[in-house]
Formats: sequence, C-alpha cells, structure tokens
Amino acid sequence: MTKKTLLTLTLNGEETDVATPMDATLLETLREDMGVLSVKRGCNQGVCGSCTVILDGEPVRSCLTLSARCKGHDLRTIEGYEADDIMASLKQHLTQSGGIQCGFCTSGVLLSAQTYLAENPHPTRDGVKSALSGNLCRCTGYRTIVDAVCDAAVEVAR
Amino acid sequence: MTEIYTPKSIQEAISFLAAHPDARPLAGGATLIAMRNAGLIEASHFVSLSEIGELQGIAKTGEGIRIGAMTRHRETAECDLLTGSLAVVRQAAGMIANRPVRNMGTMGGAVSNADPAADYLPALACVDAVVTLAGPDGQRDVPVRTFVQDWYETALDEGEIVIAITLPAPRNELSLYRKVARVTGDYATASCAIAMDGDTIRVAIGACGPGPIRDTEAEETLRGHLANPEAVTAFAGQLAALADPIDDVRGSAEYRLALIPRLIHAGLRQMKLAEVA
Amino acid sequence: MTDQTPFVGGAVGKSFAKLDNAEKAEGKALYIADLYRPGMLHGAILPSPLPHARIKGYKLDAALAAPGVVAIVTGDDVGDGRMGAFIKDEHAIAKGKVLYVGEPVAAVAAKTEAQARAACRLIEVDYEELPAILSPEDGLADGAPILHENLATYFKVFDAGSQGNLAARTVLEEGDVASAWDDCDIIVEGEFTTQAQAHVAMEPCGALAEVDAAGRVTLWSANQSVFRVQANVSESLSLPMSKLRCLTPRVGGGFGNKMEPHIQPITVALALKAKRPVKLILSREEDFEMVRARHPYKIRMKTGAKKDGTLVARECEVLLDCGAFADDSPGVLGYSLLMCGGPYRIPNLKAHGKLVYTNKLRFGAYRGFGNPQVTFAGEQQIDEVAERACLNPIEMRRRNMLHAGDGWFVGPEVASSGLAECLDIVEKRSAQARADGTKRNLGFAITAHISGLLGTGAIVRMLEDGSISLNTGATDIGQGSDTVLAQICAEKMNVPLDMVSVASPDTDGSPYNWGTTASRVTYTTGRAVQAAAGKVLDQVLRHAAEMLACDEDELELRDGARVGKIGSNTDLPYSAISARAHWAVGGPIVGSETLVFEQETHDPKRAVALGLPFPRIGIFSFAALAVDVDVDDVTGETEVVEAWSAADVGRAINPRLVEVQLEGSFVQGMGYALYEEMVWDGPKLANPSLMDYKIPTSRDVPDALHAMIVEDPEPTGPYGAKGAGEIGLNAVPAAIANAVHAATGFRHRHLPLSSERVLNGILSQEDVA
Repeated sequence: MTKKTLLTLTLNGEETDVATPMDATLLETLREDMGVLSVKRGCNQGVCGSCTVILDGEPVRSCLTLSARCKGHDLRTIEGYEADDIMASLKQHLTQSGGIQCGFCTSGVLLSAQTYLAENPHPTRDGVKSALSGNLCRCTGYRTIVDAVCDAAVEVAR
Repeated sequence: MTEIYTPKSIQEAISFLAAHPDARPLAGGATLIAMRNAGLIEASHFVSLSEIGELQGIAKTGEGIRIGAMTRHRETAECDLLTGSLAVVRQAAGMIANRPVRNMGTMGGAVSNADPAADYLPALACVDAVVTLAGPDGQRDVPVRTFVQDWYETALDEGEIVIAITLPAPRNELSLYRKVARVTGDYATASCAIAMDGDTIRVAIGACGPGPIRDTEAEETLRGHLANPEAVTAFAGQLAALADPIDDVRGSAEYRLALIPRLIHAGLRQMKLAEVA
Repeated sequence: MTDQTPFVGGAVGKSFAKLDNAEKAEGKALYIADLYRPGMLHGAILPSPLPHARIKGYKLDAALAAPGVVAIVTGDDVGDGRMGAFIKDEHAIAKGKVLYVGEPVAAVAAKTEAQARAACRLIEVDYEELPAILSPEDGLADGAPILHENLATYFKVFDAGSQGNLAARTVLEEGDVASAWDDCDIIVEGEFTTQAQAHVAMEPCGALAEVDAAGRVTLWSANQSVFRVQANVSESLSLPMSKLRCLTPRVGGGFGNKMEPHIQPITVALALKAKRPVKLILSREEDFEMVRARHPYKIRMKTGAKKDGTLVARECEVLLDCGAFADDSPGVLGYSLLMCGGPYRIPNLKAHGKLVYTNKLRFGAYRGFGNPQVTFAGEQQIDEVAERACLNPIEMRRRNMLHAGDGWFVGPEVASSGLAECLDIVEKRSAQARADGTKRNLGFAITAHISGLLGTGAIVRMLEDGSISLNTGATDIGQGSDTVLAQICAEKMNVPLDMVSVASPDTDGSPYNWGTTASRVTYTTGRAVQAAAGKVLDQVLRHAAEMLACDEDELELRDGARVGKIGSNTDLPYSAISARAHWAVGGPIVGSETLVFEQETHDPKRAVALGLPFPRIGIFSFAALAVDVDVDDVTGETEVVEAWSAADVGRAINPRLVEVQLEGSFVQGMGYALYEEMVWDGPKLANPSLMDYKIPTSRDVPDALHAMIVEDPEPTGPYGAKGAGEIGLNAVPAAIANAVHAATGFRHRHLPLSSERVLNGILSQEDVA
C-alpha cells in the first residue's frame, strides 16, 4: 500500500488532518483523500486550469502544488465560497449567460474570476480576460464566460 | 515515493543536496512537478527552497537590484523597481504563461531549468544580469550571458543552486521584450529583448539556440548608426550567425532566422516611436 | 424577468439556462473520474512503443508481483471479436499485432493508479518489428506492408472496396465533368493539405466497469453514445448486449472524440478478470496519443465557370489518412465528398477519394466530419473564380448558391434554406467600418451541414402527479441537448419546463439513440420527442374528454398543466388525469416514438454513387461566415479582429445555446485554422501535451464575435428545428484563408495558417513585387 503521512491542512477555513502520500500533489490529496471532487484533472501539467485552487488568496495549480507545502496556508476550493457575495453573483450570471457548457472548466473559471473581482474595484473586460487566460475552455469560445464575469462585476459594484 | 525536506537556510539546502545525490532542489514546482507528473523524473527527495528567507524578495543593493531565486514571476511582473533599462525584465515576467503559473514559478527555477524558449534569459542577458550560485565550495557569480552552456545545460555544478539574480541599477532608457508565440502565454517561438541607450542598442534573442544570443562587439560597431537600416541589418546578421535554432512544433529553424532581423528592426522602430512620444 | 421565472406555455424559442448548469456552477457535477464503487481498483494502460509489429509474447511475472496489482489483461485475454463503425477491424486491445505508437497493448488493475502505472512499466512485450506505413501514399505503393492482413474477412457495413491498405474508396458523380471543362471560360486548380487536429475536450476519456454476481457488466464512461459503447464492447468482447448495461455520468465535452470507443472495452476486460470494479482514466498525453483525431486531408480540386461566374463544373479528389483502424473514417470520406461542392448549383460535379490505413492513431469523428477540410479548398476556389470573373465574393456566392427546392449533389432534397438571408446578414454587418477606422481584411465563406442520420427514439411518461419524464438515450455532452429536448417536450405538453425531467442515458431503460454526433440530436431525437409527447397528449385529451363528458374538440390546453372545456371554467389538472390513468382507466400514460431518417441520399437518376456510406442521411442547415483579420507583417502572426457567423438552424429551440454552439465552434475552427497541429516525429506524436499543442485562450479570441440566428423552418423538424452543432466550424478555415489573402495577396493552400506560413506568403509576394 502507498505510504501515507498525516498532514494538517486548512481547507475552506477548517483545519483537517489528512492521511495522504508525502509527495502527493494537492490535486491528488483533495480528490483522493479529502473527497473534494470539484477540482479536476484535465492535464496534470499546469496548463488547462481545471485544477485551480486558491492558496493564500492567489490562484495556483493544485496539480503542481505539493500538499506537504500547504501546511499552515489558507486553501480554498469552490466549496469554500458558499457565503461569498461575489461568488454568488458570478455563479448566477454564468448559469444564465451560456458560459457553462460541459462544465469541466467551470470551478476553475469561477475561482479565477472571484479572485480578480475581489481584488479589483475597477475591473475591465481586458482585465477579466487576463485573469481567465489560465483557464482553458473548449466549449464556449469564452465570450459568454467573460460577459458573465463583467455582468457580475457591475452587480457587485452596486 | 519522493520525500520532502524543507531546509531553513541556504547552507542546510546545500549540505542536504551534497549528501543525497538523487535529491532535487524544488523552487516553485511549475516545471519540476509537471515533469514528475509526466514520469520524466524520479527523485529520492525534493529539497523545498520555499522556507529560506534569503531567497525571497526583490531589493535594492549596492550592486543594483537583487532578485531572490524564489521570487515568483508575479512579483517580478509587478515590481516598480524594474523601470527604464530593466522594464524588459518586468515585461518578460508578465508574459510568462498566465496568472496561476506566475503565482508559482520562480526566477531561480526558470533560470536553472534554462528552457531555451522561456522568457527570462533573453531579458536578463539584455540587461547584463548576474546569477549568484551557492554550492559546497561557497558562492560564486556567473554572468547570465555565459550561464547557459548547452541545450538545457547551465553553469550549475553538481550540488549548486541559484540563490539570486542581480540586475544593474536601472538607467533611464527604453527597453522592451517581444515574443512571437502561437497563443497568449505560450513559450516563445522566437523572442527579442532590446534596450536603447541613446546611440546604441543592446539586443538578446531568445528561443533561437540553447541560450540567449547577444553580441556586444556587434553592438559596439552599431553605435551611432541606429538610423542606418543597412547597419542594423548587418548587426542582425551577426546575431543570426551566432544563432543555432532548431525545427520544432513551434516553427522551423529557417523561420526563426528570418525573424531575427525583422524583430530587431521592428523593436527599434517601436522604441523610436516611444522616444518621440 | 429572469429565465428562471416560471412561465406559462411556449418553451420553444426561450433561452433557458441549461438544466445541469446549477450543479456545474456548484462544482457538484460528477464526471467519470468522480465516480467510485466499493472495492474499486484503478486501471492503467501500457502503450505500444512501435508503429507496426507482431506481438510474440508477454512477460507478466514482474508486473503481477508488483505492489497492489490484482489483474493484467492482454490480447490473450480477449477473443477474436472485432468492433468498428463501418469496418469491424478493431479488437478490444492489441491482439497479435500493434498498429500505432500508443496503441494499448496491456492493461493493469491495481489498488491505486500510481501502482497500476508503475506495474505497466514492468510488463515486457516481445515484438517483431515490421516496416511502418506513415503516409497514405506509402500505404498504396506496390509491395507496401499490409496492416490488416485479414481485411477481406472483416464485416463491412457497406461496400467500401477495401483491399490491401485501402480501407475505403468513394466515387460520386453528377453530369459529365470530363467534358464540362470545355464549356468553362475560367478554370482554377489547386492542391490543398490539411493537418490533424486534436479534440482537446477538457475532460480526458475514462470508464468504470463493474461486474455483478451473475456476470452482468455495468459500465459508466465518458461517451457520446451509450449505445455505441454497448455495441462496441459487446462486439469486441463477444459479450451479449443483454449482459451489458451502459450508463453516462456528466461528460466533459466530446467533439467526436467520445463517439466511438476509447478504453471502455479494456476497462470491462479488466473488471471481468479482476472480478472487482475497475476505473480507468486516461492522462492528457494518453488522450492525445491513444484515442483519435481529425483526418489530415490531401485535396486536389478543380473548379470551372463561365466568364460571368456561373459555376459549371468541379472535380474534387481526396486522399485521407485513416490511421490504424477504420473507426468513422469511411463515413468521413463519404460525407466530405457529398459536401465538397458546397451549397451551390454545379451541374457537373465529380467527387472521389481514398482512405488508406497507416500506422498512426485512428482518425475519426471530429466536429465537421470532413466538411471543414473540403470547404477550406472549395470556398477559396470560389473566391479565385470570383476574382477572375470580376465579381466580389458575395456576388459570386449569391449568383451560384442553392435555394430551397433544389436538390443536393447525389440526391437529397433541400427543403428549407435560409442561406440567402445568412449571406445578406454577414455582408451587411461586415460592411460597417472598424471603430478605429483602419482597413478591414475580409474573408467570406458559406457552407451547409446535414443533420438527421440513423435511429432514435423517445419515451415520454406522465408521472402520477402529472409531471413528465422524458427518456431519449441521447447523451448531453455539455451542449444542452437534455434542455433542448425538455423544451420541445414542454412545448408540446404545454407545461412549464421544470415539470419535465430528463432521464440519464441508460441502455437498460432508454430507447436506442445512435449518438450525440452529426448535429443530429435536436432534429432527429427532437422529432421523436415531439411525436412521443404528442401521443401522451392524445391520451391526456381522451381521458379529459371522458372525465369532462365532452368531445375532444371541445377541449383546450390551459396554463399550469391543465385541460379545460372551451368556454367554461371547468378544467382538470394533468395530475387528476394521470391519477385516473394510473388507478382506474387505461393504465399509466406512456407515449413512445421510434424513427430512422428515411429519405434516400442517392437519386440514381441524378448521380452515380459508389461506396456511399449513408444510404439515408438527413436535412440541411446553412451558414455564412465573414472574418476580418489583421496580419502582422513583421512576424506573420494573424489575428481575427471580428467575425460574423450567421446560421440557418430552422428554429432555435434555445437561442442562447445555438449562439454558444456557433461561437464555440468558431473558436475551435480558429485554432484549427491558425495554429493547432498534431505533429509526428517519424511514427511518434511529437506534441501530445498541452504544453506543445496549443488551443485558444480567453485572450486569443476576438471580443467582437457575432453569432446570428436565421430561421427557415425545416418542414420535418421539431417546431422547424435543424442541427447547429457543427455548422459554425466548417467555414472557418476557408474564411480566414480568404481574409489572409485579402490582407497579404497570398493564397494559402495548407493548414494551419501558422505565422511562419503567413510570413513566407508575405515574403514571396515581396519577391514578386
């Protein structure tokens, strides 16, 4: 059996002890040992963005992050934003705009978008596109995603 | 199973690497973990450099601007100290991949990996940066321009790590980085880092050989003749003669050679316009 | 009012949010990699390192002894069963021979994926290497090594003329092309090539198989058709279909990659051997290397016209790289030839081509199905003729295009066509100047696509409380077919959308549906849904008439799922009717419909057809595309600045979902046109990773991408609808090439229009000048 060690991770505000291989990536630990399935393995190379998580407030690739390095850091996945107004607005607009098709990229997109809107009181369309350039989508062609984020930005500003 | 060792000082890291020949230093993980995931490397240990204070941060020093090896691309891309002649480095950092990768990748990691198509090395070569290495025999400095010795091979000896990259103090000059790539954030098909200092330019070409291509003698010959297109073309020819491009999925060697003079002329035009403005 | 406000009647034509959106926004959608079964093992595959070799033997001891390993499967574990959509040439796993680098040779089931992968590396396979065929030309050469030595014995769905390495040949001809050239004042000729494109759905392929105590297999997989999964697994493993149940989790995109089998047969074989459930998920690299891709084409095309631009003749000859297995390739060959004349009146048209086996991964279904390739050639030749005839590209197309009532090449009837309107729209919109006043570089192209094809069914049930359950077996791969079909059902039943629930495709309970492919679900399955719902409605009205003691023609449907007597306040809710049916009279209300598209493709009075894979095909959608590009003359980099895509989809059941199809397919086509390319280094794929194979990011697409819907209702379509899934891609490479020609003066006949190619084009014009 693969040797596991006990790691203390702070996920979505809650400190948890997880048994996970010492050299596991965060993607593996989250999916296999913590039952967090919203992070997806699209490439395991850090290119597609489906594995995006927020580490200390910044979007990173969970497939390239060693879980062992995350001890003591603040880790968030989409599940951690249930009470967040910006995220609620983003979800609502993305749901309506046509920006969700197969949905595989969606969690990563929402996390990248939320981070951008949370730190930018004056978001721009170009800024949104830059914030999302690390989230590949093969279905939508991006316009409906970018529109949804811009619409959420307007709503949040109010 | 790879074990993870997290030293608190450069010395601890060096000692551990010396004692464990199958251990690999781990900077941001953007490259190393990707390679591990693809089954391309197997290490007994990852020596994580993330807790070593001396490797962090960008600071003004007597020599210029010192960028710690663990400085993330994002920090470099947002650093106000990198102005004028150093703006080219900041621009290059901002064009690497995308935001999440820039949150993870480090200058030390990128420089050590020496991917011929990556963005830092031509920009650093253009500004005459110096790489500081630390190893069992102590610390030493290597100019970026001689740091890359062959395809994916650097001046790093067994057991050495990059601890900082030092740039000369910024001068009030124009500089810019341009990369030709298939999509936003892709590695460069070819790139050009260019700085203009009154009557001469410094140019480093990327992705056209194992390391960045620069020719200071040719730059000196060009001094005072920037307005002469033939002189610029001859200058570009010198750089092309030093280039050793390959055919790969991003483009052919021929295309890269064709781009060298075009990027230089275009870069010069762009800077002349900026000068006038 | 948001789209979630309960509405009353009229579901069709509304841009509802998809039924699965909320779940996906919450991160709660479960894809194949997210499914777990008790006692589940993980699978991994050992790929072939060689392009062509006989397998002499396997050494499995070291792998069997490796940590966590429970079972190993090789070609020795599967019988001689073979699968294949048109030519049954493929085993479940390599057996006796390997035919491409990356072909699955062995598979391991172990306690963890890492253990399974590690064990694969311990398997030794003894190969006797054979010379490899790496191009169709080499495959056809005299004395070429033969890939499928038993080709003559394979079952074939139609007479494809298969022999040697020739997998299929097709010849279609109308009129008399050979003598027609004499009537032409203008003749343009050219040779074109197109590259292999990877699907790159965000979700890699995967499957999970479990065997019960009676030996019955339950198989979940990322798929575009549970019925194709069932047939393929059944045929390759010689498993009766009654012993195999195929199910569908959420699917993370397909674009054709998941229409035919990937690793489902191997996963089932592992589960049968391990006697435990096995889940096998491909890595991204394996998804690139093992599965399928878009066919590279060589096209020789000649188009002739009168001096006023009236088209007289076209000849199109194609050579397709089949890859190692036929898969959908004979269909792609035949379909592209059927479409190579474009939506034009061309009295003399000859289309012929060959499909040749090579030692590369199989090429197969990919959005457009051969149409983008021939359109790349054809729509450029239309521009070339236009230039010689001194017509602008729009006039040229207007002069020659097909109209409703015309017949298509070989015979199908065009019953509806909004093509003229599509062309008008893109002409008008692209004529507006750029906001910054710089010059536009415009390229145009028009196209058609067929939707219809093969069998489908629908079962509509009224549940006890009057709500509706819809079961069609159609896999929603993210494009929203569940929602669209529910809208059709809701419209017919006059109920709010949320009264309709859509069952997940399940071969145990769903009626047969060939698959989510060929732009067919809205049209074909939609027809079945509309009809089945109609039958339910008939029964509802019969009950209501009895319950209200009146004639059926005195009844009307009312808001809120009610039936009432015209002119009176008396009405009945569906729930009351359903209760009566369930407990008293007639039995639970069910309506079902099954159909196969029935109109013949080939009209023998009109055309000669040899090797036509689709005896009955479908109905036509149309589109026009205009693209505005900027070309950087320093580097050759091409940027799409603006694009206008107008498509006649008959009736947009859900307009927003149609727009997203047009936009998404445009971007996928743009990547194909400009930089996506699978590159081989000898027999091995050089760029099977997202580092080296690039698709467009959010910053690579124009903001100004305008999708416009035109509706010329299709008489047989549900509420007039026809297909929309592929048509937005067909014309993209041609329109971009025409635009690059406008910008640089150079005509590009090779895809992709990489910055290198475009710069070379610019430089060659400088030489000329």
